Amino acid sequence: MRMIAACLSAAVLTLPVAGFAAGAAAEDGQWTMPARDYAATRFSPLTQINAVNAPGLHPVWSFSTGVLAGHEGQPLVVGDTMYVVTPWPNVLYAFDLSKEGYPLRWKYRPDVSANAIGVSCCDTINRGAFYADGKIIYNLLDGHTVAVDAKSGRELWNTQVADVANGETVTIAPLVVKDRVIIGAAGGEFGIYGWVKALDLASGKVVWTAHNIGPDADMLIRPADFHPPYEGASDSGVSGWPPDGWRTGGAPVWGWMSYDPELDLLFYGTGNAAPYNADQRPGDNKWTSSVLARRPADGTLVWAYQFTPHDSWDFDATGAMVLAELNIGGKPVKALVHFDKNGFAYTLERATGKLLVAEPYVKVNWAKSVDLKTGRPLIDPDKLTGASRGNVKDICPCLEGGVSPASPPAYSPHTHLFYSSTNNLCMDYASKRTSYLKGTPFMGIENPYHPGPGGYLGTFMAWDAATGRKVWENHEPFPNWSGALVTAGDVAFYGTLDGWFKSVDARTGKVLSKFKVGSGVVGNPMTYRGPDGKQYVAVYAGIGGDWLLLAGDYRSDDPADVRAPADYVPELARHTSQGGIIWIFGL
Amino acid sequence: MSADNLSSPLARAVAGPPLLLALLLGGCGPHAASPSAAKGPAPPPAVSYESHVAAGGLTPPGGELRNPHAGDKAVAASGALLFTAMNCDGCHGAGAAGAVGPNLGDGRWRYGGADPEVFSSIFYGRPKGMPGFGGALGADGVWTLVTYIRSLAPPDNLPTESFEKQ
Repeated sequence: MRMIAACLSAAVLTLPVAGFAAGAAAEDGQWTMPARDYAATRFSPLTQINAVNAPGLHPVWSFSTGVLAGHEGQPLVVGDTMYVVTPWPNVLYAFDLSKEGYPLRWKYRPDVSANAIGVSCCDTINRGAFYADGKIIYNLLDGHTVAVDAKSGRELWNTQVADVANGETVTIAPLVVKDRVIIGAAGGEFGIYGWVKALDLASGKVVWTAHNIGPDADMLIRPADFHPPYEGASDSGVSGWPPDGWRTGGAPVWGWMSYDPELDLLFYGTGNAAPYNADQRPGDNKWTSSVLARRPADGTLVWAYQFTPHDSWDFDATGAMVLAELNIGGKPVKALVHFDKNGFAYTLERATGKLLVAEPYVKVNWAKSVDLKTGRPLIDPDKLTGASRGNVKDICPCLEGGVSPASPPAYSPHTHLFYSSTNNLCMDYASKRTSYLKGTPFMGIENPYHPGPGGYLGTFMAWDAATGRKVWENHEPFPNWSGALVTAGDVAFYGTLDGWFKSVDARTGKVLSKFKVGSGVVGNPMTYRGPDGKQYVAVYAGIGGDWLLLAGDYRSDDPADVRAPADYVPELARHTSQGGIIWIFGL
Repeated sequence: MSADNLSSPLARAVAGPPLLLALLLGGCGPHAASPSAAKGPAPPPAVSYESHVAAGGLTPPGGELRNPHAGDKAVAASGALLFTAMNCDGCHGAGAAGAVGPNLGDGRWRYGGADPEVFSSIFYGRPKGMPGFGGALGADGVWTLVTYIRSLAPPDNLPTESFEKQ
């Protein structure tokens, strides 16, 4: 431990003081929350691995989780222990990084209902854990939140928070703010009444529940405290719906949350409106496909902004809300940056929700632009969908998103750039009338995908959120589904669906190293300093998650389920099959 | 669907403790919730033992569940509509080609592909989250779905997927 302390102080001395976002985490070599810091930057101040020596990166350890579903999320490193949560059945592993071969200290195997598998729209994934107050806190697919003693692996509390019978599952990684554990539920495909809840960190008891749609009282809107930047009359979560439509209106929360301690605001995005057939829910459908800012102590809604009013394309806004200090037009701005499924990258003023920049980062044709004065997209009416409109052809991007919300970006205060995976896919969208049947999908859609222009299906890109411009991008043969990591060594990291894990120069995108990790990557790379004082990078392999990734015959675990290859990714199964593996890379 | 739908085919089914078996078979679905739920005593379970291994080599005594619509193309077409109307396609994909739930047109089955086995899967549900639809659909509705699913033709040469140009 002494060596770590010495390294720590040396590193602190060489760090630039300016440029860190509010909510930045200390440079202690650990990674204790999903995005490393409250600002959700996935930026590490570690510098041992840099653009000069990164070509020497190689695997130093790997471990099979024994689980075949999509391995989203990321490990945590707290002290000399690495914590890993698997997809269902949500095993929690604690690896001792101080011993050769990193043997387990313990594993925790909760009893998670298999019934949850059937109401997981998009594979049985889990997006990771949060460390706070000596506890590892994470969610079980079947609607429970658990706290486990980080030292002993003993369960401290286990609270039922969601109801599988209603189509709710819990895949999100919690965010702990002071003594509140914030979580949300997935189920936008099952017509849930979407919500976030805060649990007491010590006891696990639910302190408050805030719905994302519905009456002000359910949404924890206290009119004197609610100041949306554009629209939001009283009971806005009801008036923009047909009678009772909000009761089964979706607005799930399954992506990434962030927190600004100076403003004391919690930020998160809401998912799609249900059902997919937009004819059944005339109105804006507030506050689906939106970003919401709440007080973590009591849940009060402070502002909200809807990226996609009357969502007609399954454009969830559950992707990360990254907090960064940007220089826009010569002025320092406390910004919130979001790469939406709808193909626009948004830069907002995070105290108010006011829109500053909104530019497409992939091919977009459902809207021409976003009006910065009104905050509303200028929609191409030919691309609106609904059962009455038949099969609407060639909408870009497809409903998997310009980037999947499952694939969070990273922000470097060194380069002032954001790094993100993207997908280059478009879709046809044929809606049909559908009925709400509790516990079954509430959708009404048939929508084949096809490749966007250019001869590639995905990219990893660097984005300037102050101007809304792409700085560089690397084309990939398949949609790109991993999260991003960037370090003070100016190296960025990502994985690909065909199973490569790559390090690239954060300033140019030049590939510095690559290694085939055994299965497609849908997880998020992270980095830490081990007990030996060396910097390591860890990532999961394990393809799965979301519809696109359930297509194709790379599932080999079930002899009674054989798929034809999807025509938009005909070759994917040539390069990958399922399988969860934790990889650690070092110099 | 009315209670009449529960008449002849199920009357021939094996006698057994229906409620207990329904629970064992994993019904998490809308048994009790639907206004159109079939009335009267629940039908006994249909279990075909052909695809099971019987202890001692002896199969337990069993009855027969017969699909009243087997091979009926018009019923299969109605079943295709029902497959969409009951949101089956939300999990099993358009054309039952597989999404979150397995492909039902590949000729391969987790729980058996004979008519009575497919009937049981739909009527009672299965333990990885397949809801039981017997309450919402009644027996005839389930047979209609069975007829559709059994009409899907599996592709030739299923086991091999070649990536190189032949």
